[in-house]
Amino acid sequence: MPEQAQRRAPIPPTPESQPEDKQALEELRHLIVAPEQEGLQEIRDRLDSMERRAEDVSSVVAEAIQMRREQGDDQALAEALAPTIQETLRESVRKNPQVLADALFPVMGPAIRKSISETLRTMLESFNEALEHSLSLRGIQWRIEAFRTGKPFAEIVLMHSLLYRVEQVFLIHRETGLVLNHVVAPFVATQDPDMVAGMLSAIQQFARDSFNSAGQEVLGSMNFEELEIWVEASPDAVLAAVIRGHAPSDYRLAMKEALENIQQNFSSALANFKGETGPFRAAGDRLHQLLEARFKEKQGGKGRPRAAIIAAAVPLAIILGWVGYSSYLLWEWSRFLNALRQQPGIAIISVNKSGGRFHVQGFRDPLAADPGKLLSEAGFDPKKAELELLPFYSVDDVIVLRRAKELLHPPAGVRLSEKNGELHAEGVAPPKWIAQFQERAPWIAGVNSIDVSHLQNSARVEFNRLKGALESAALVFPLGRTELEPGQESALAQGEKDIQGLLDQAERLGGTVTVEIVGHTDSTGVEAANLPLSKQRADQIFNMLRRAGVKAANLRPRGVATSEPLRTEDTEEGRRYNRSVTFKVAFSPAPPVH
Amino acid sequence: MLQKKVCMLGSFSVGKTSLVRRFVESIFSEQYHTTIGVKVDKKVVRAEGRDVTLVLWDIHGEDAFQKVQISYLRGMSGYLLVADGTRRQTLEDALALANRVAETMGKIPAVLVLNKCDLTAQWEIEPDREARLAADGWKAFRSSAKTGEFVEAVFSHLALAMLRK
Repeated sequence: MPEQAQRRAPIPPTPESQPEDKQALEELRHLIVAPEQEGLQEIRDRLDSMERRAEDVSSVVAEAIQMRREQGDDQALAEALAPTIQETLRESVRKNPQVLADALFPVMGPAIRKSISETLRTMLESFNEALEHSLSLRGIQWRIEAFRTGKPFAEIVLMHSLLYRVEQVFLIHRETGLVLNHVVAPFVATQDPDMVAGMLSAIQQFARDSFNSAGQEVLGSMNFEELEIWVEASPDAVLAAVIRGHAPSDYRLAMKEALENIQQNFSSALANFKGETGPFRAAGDRLHQLLEARFKEKQGGKGRPRAAIIAAAVPLAIILGWVGYSSYLLWEWSRFLNALRQQPGIAIISVNKSGGRFHVQGFRDPLAADPGKLLSEAGFDPKKAELELLPFYSVDDVIVLRRAKELLHPPAGVRLSEKNGELHAEGVAPPKWIAQFQERAPWIAGVNSIDVSHLQNSARVEFNRLKGALESAALVFPLGRTELEPGQESALAQGEKDIQGLLDQAERLGGTVTVEIVGHTDSTGVEAANLPLSKQRADQIFNMLRRAGVKAANLRPRGVATSEPLRTEDTEEGRRYNRSVTFKVAFSPAPPVH
Repeated sequence: MLQKKVCMLGSFSVGKTSLVRRFVESIFSEQYHTTIGVKVDKKVVRAEGRDVTLVLWDIHGEDAFQKVQISYLRGMSGYLLVADGTRRQTLEDALALANRVAETMGKIPAVLVLNKCDLTAQWEIEPDREARLAADGWKAFRSSAKTGEFVEAVFSHLALAMLRK
């Protein structure tokens, strides 16, 4: 500042003795010239400061260049700028070639293609010329066709050599190898696209690593017998097409165009991809177009000569016959397949036809119908079909039931049924089988639960029958006597048989049986005498049963006199019936074994 | 749909492949490991209420003769680091590998799996080593390809870590 202050006041030296005058003069000067001086000073500052000069120029530089161009002298400007721009580009490429490559990608692609297609066109012309001189049979046929349709000969040749089909198209995120979108032609069997795309990326990486290529190159195509995989890459995405047969080179052009389009339309989604594939669903249409680009339309010729029509009719008839026969075979085959698909326990995974033979792959439960038999039933030549059915456990209701019957051997009185994994058993069965059923059935593949609510234990049924029979029997005694009435022997023998039966069934049910032998008297006579009489009657039967072989432990004789009459005693028959011994059966489960 | 690329890393024969064999969808044979060094499988898990498809790059084990190709790891969102709990060296090798990954690719969600935990008698990783791992910020699971313990949990945990990143 002191320097500037000096400049601002270039006052001649004044004697020290007149300070007041000097001050007055100074004030006067200030009043007169200060505004001009300040203006001058500001201009000086502006010229001295680099920063401010740059600022001034920056606000007019664009207009200045524009003006210069309008003056029509842009050659000089271009010459002036060229070295700098060249240097800038060189520096940019040296630092990171990718930036410029990405920027130029949309421009370079079409430009290069244009140049290549021009080259190809000239090549095709010479190819055309070469073919003109070929005199093979096929060459002549094609030549006739060219003549007939009025197309260039080369085009006919190409048309015949282009038979291909694009089966799948993958859009893959370049860095992660994840599938962004995947389209498949109808009726093409595919593997999981996520895994295939991952592996495809891995192979690309493998190729780059194996040949020490550090750059962004891609493996442009891979061949696998009839299949070709064509790969195109943009900075962020990879397009892979799986092609059966040989696609023409302009298919690659279609791929490039589609990819450029996708790269352009989805550039921010691609750059910020975090695994969310939703936004790329919109690219599906573009990919579908690549699938649809597989057919080359044949155009009908005009003005065919009659001879040609006749000449064509014979092969046409043969072809029609063949097509008819093939369709008949196909129809037969599809009928057989439908029948096969409806078979429980058979699952068809894939069906294809090659070399005139049909191949079926799938699974078959060992209990399902024999497919070979189905084949011959359908009247189909077994030599024309190959069934590759791997064994598996089906959970189809029919098969599960079949499997359950096979493993459980249900006895005659039992009906098994199965629905949605629940196995029902209905009927009467021995307890041993019921126990086996409850233990084994839940282990059978396809059985999730069992229902035994309608299953009756045969031992229990028989036990209840015998119990009913025994308890309704009465062994009758003459008045005041303890020996059975004559003629009661058979009733006693039946009672004894029933008791033995009850003991057998109780054992099967895992319990024991106690048979109460209840002695009764009629109401005649003194009650004091009736009680011992009734007890003696019970004991009499007890002893007879013991002699017949029934264990005493299972029998319990007791007398009840008139306290539990069986009939009213209005009649002699009623009284007779009350002079008797009856039975009461009690079952007790065996005490648990410790 | 949400997809994530996930790598499985670890020394040779720590059981990476057998660890997941029963839990993933696979269409490629294990020969791919020895030919191109990687096999791609798939696993769908549920995390934060949505399905996440993990595309698993099972990368051929690293040993003295063969280094893991870092280029296979490009674009991964997370990784499983697998070590054999009965061979302490495999843990150290795995951690060295993780360091190499962190140097080249920065911090990426990862889960450490100490495999073969059914072989308790041969277990070589002391409890305080595991505690130190946890202190270093490793989420470590003991697991076993034989019993399948925690394998599902390992994937779910990794998926969650990737989603929350």
